Amino acid sequence: MTHLTYELAALLYLAAGTLGALARTRPRAAGGMVGLLALGAGLHAVGFIGLHRQTPPVSLESFPAALSLIAWLIVVAYLLCLRMFPIRSVGVWVGAAAGLVTLAADAALRWLSPAAAGPHSGGTWSHAHVLLSAGGFSLLALASLAGLAYLAKERQLKHKRWPRLGLPSLEGLDRFEHLSLSLGFPLLTLGVISGFVWGADRGVSPWTGHSLWLLGAWAVYLLPVGLRVVRRQHGHLPARGVVLGFALLAFSYVGIRLLGAVA
Amino acid sequence: MNVVLVGLSHHTAPVAIRERYVVTESALSGLNEKLVRGSDIDEAALISTCNRTEVLAVSRSPERALEHLLDFLRYELGDGSASVAHVYELRDADAVAHLLRVAASLDSMVLGEAQILGQVKAAYRAGVQGRSVGPILNRLFQSAFRAAKRVRSETGLGASPVSLASIGVQLACELFESLAGKKVLLLGSGAMAESALRGLQEAGAESVAVLSRTPESALRLARRFAGRSAGLDALDEELSAAAVVLCSLQVERPLLGRAQLEGPMRRRQGRPLLIVDLGVPRNVEPSVNTLKDVYLYDLDDLERVAERGRAQRGAALEAALAILASERDRFEAWCAQLPLVPTIRKLVQYANELARSEARRAASGATGSEASPEVLERMAERIVAKLLHQPLRRLRAESELAGGLYYADAARRLFGLELEDDEE
Repeated sequence: MTHLTYELAALLYLAAGTLGALARTRPRAAGGMVGLLALGAGLHAVGFIGLHRQTPPVSLESFPAALSLIAWLIVVAYLLCLRMFPIRSVGVWVGAAAGLVTLAADAALRWLSPAAAGPHSGGTWSHAHVLLSAGGFSLLALASLAGLAYLAKERQLKHKRWPRLGLPSLEGLDRFEHLSLSLGFPLLTLGVISGFVWGADRGVSPWTGHSLWLLGAWAVYLLPVGLRVVRRQHGHLPARGVVLGFALLAFSYVGIRLLGAVA
Repeated sequence: MNVVLVGLSHHTAPVAIRERYVVTESALSGLNEKLVRGSDIDEAALISTCNRTEVLAVSRSPERALEHLLDFLRYELGDGSASVAHVYELRDADAVAHLLRVAASLDSMVLGEAQILGQVKAAYRAGVQGRSVGPILNRLFQSAFRAAKRVRSETGLGASPVSLASIGVQLACELFESLAGKKVLLLGSGAMAESALRGLQEAGAESVAVLSRTPESALRLARRFAGRSAGLDALDEELSAAAVVLCSLQVERPLLGRAQLEGPMRRRQGRPLLIVDLGVPRNVEPSVNTLKDVYLYDLDDLERVAERGRAQRGAALEAALAILASERDRFEAWCAQLPLVPTIRKLVQYANELARSEARRAASGATGSEASPEVLERMAERIVAKLLHQPLRRLRAESELAGGLYYADAARRLFGLELEDDEE
């Protein structure tokens, strides 16, 4: 039942992304996109409850469940931000990313046994680490989407090819990226700290491949954060920073595990 | 009709070429005079706007005239940088249709804009001053003005043109979430820049700074747009604060280059800057667009934006084209009658002289201050007899020859006579 719910949610996200793409020529489709994303997020939440009630239950600390949580948080954060920013056109990318990540998480949950899916300690620090990191990751994912959109839009305008992608204004994307980064970076920082504390609690060495890459990503994020907070810089430089930071962050979560699985 | 036209415009030549072929309004009449002096050209008029430079002429030797006009355009009006591919040559109906399209703003970068009609009128006035506009161009310009007026009043094109103002606002909206609180910097003056500024203000831009070479003109414009004025020495400071810069200065070489903008851009801390260069010659070096966070649009770029709006206005455009076709037909019909003009003039003159001489004769024969009805009747009969004497004599003489029936038919047509069947 849980798998079916996840798959339906993933399909709704992908359908929302498709509607978002159609909205460039048919503005009415944008409303449908938002509706499908909201419906998908609702179904996705039901999936979490099913996951928790499963015997044995799958902990949120497991990698596939955390991945699924990140996809859900991306959609929820996007829907919440829609009221504040004219970012409907970014929904194409949000729908596509959330759909694919949810499908990947579902596939991992199907193939891995609950024990192999990841550690299940149930402690406060582990919950704090997962929730804070997932929150930070999803907001930084949105920041990187905004950064990518900014760079794409900048290129369009420089080459006088607008408005082919139908993206929001540069200023709107910059503001959205700023907010996502301002909220996401502190959450990620707290997630990193709680992760180290959790590891220390368990007597595990904190210097794993995941934690080292995570620290590297965190350090890279200092660049856009510093530019924005200290120099009050806008535009392409922070945008490049958040895109690079997220690439490292995604690698620390997903890439390092994939490499481990291949090895 | 032997009307010829040679020119280059935004359709055929980039702004880098067009800016070398700009003719100032004050130089127009002198150049017109030069065109008609000692050449195969009978009548001529030069049209020069920021988007086109064209020479319209009437000549009895159109082939030679076209060659002469081509050389004149390339080497007298510019520096010879325009290649043959940049220049178009039109003859007779095509040249006429072209002028009608230009005056009605159907050939403009901004479809339906009103400024072009004023510019064509200025070209006509310069032609009249330079005594290079004769009866044919005079009639053609009047047709063009009438067509433009009809297009504006009878179609929707003039009511809601794809204006520079709307294009400027569209561009600004690609950069900024809202124009509220944004600062617009206007460099120079000019109808296009003012129209764009008005559009930006209507869209919410609050603050306007006007910079000009002469403080008086800057002050005058600033007052009109509730802004403030300054000299060009304040450029650096104003560039740091503005969100949109509209450039419309008359300059020989670009005023703004990378070097001038690097400092202000550093101070802007990544905030985007939109520069709309409406000047011809251009006010801003194209390399400025390579600076980060600067988005430079010149007239050629605006043309591409306007092109999309143009495609969306099919119905109004069709109606406007129909008006132009009817005006072109009227002009061509008038041209076809041109060979008859001397005959008609003589005929009218002959009839008037005859009527006047008979009136004098009647007056001398009258007693008292008023002529009696009998005197007036005799006078009218004499006028008719004299008017018809020559045609009737000719008709009788011709009836003895092969062409007699032709003359009889012509007489019936000319006087609108309908014969009964039995009379025939």
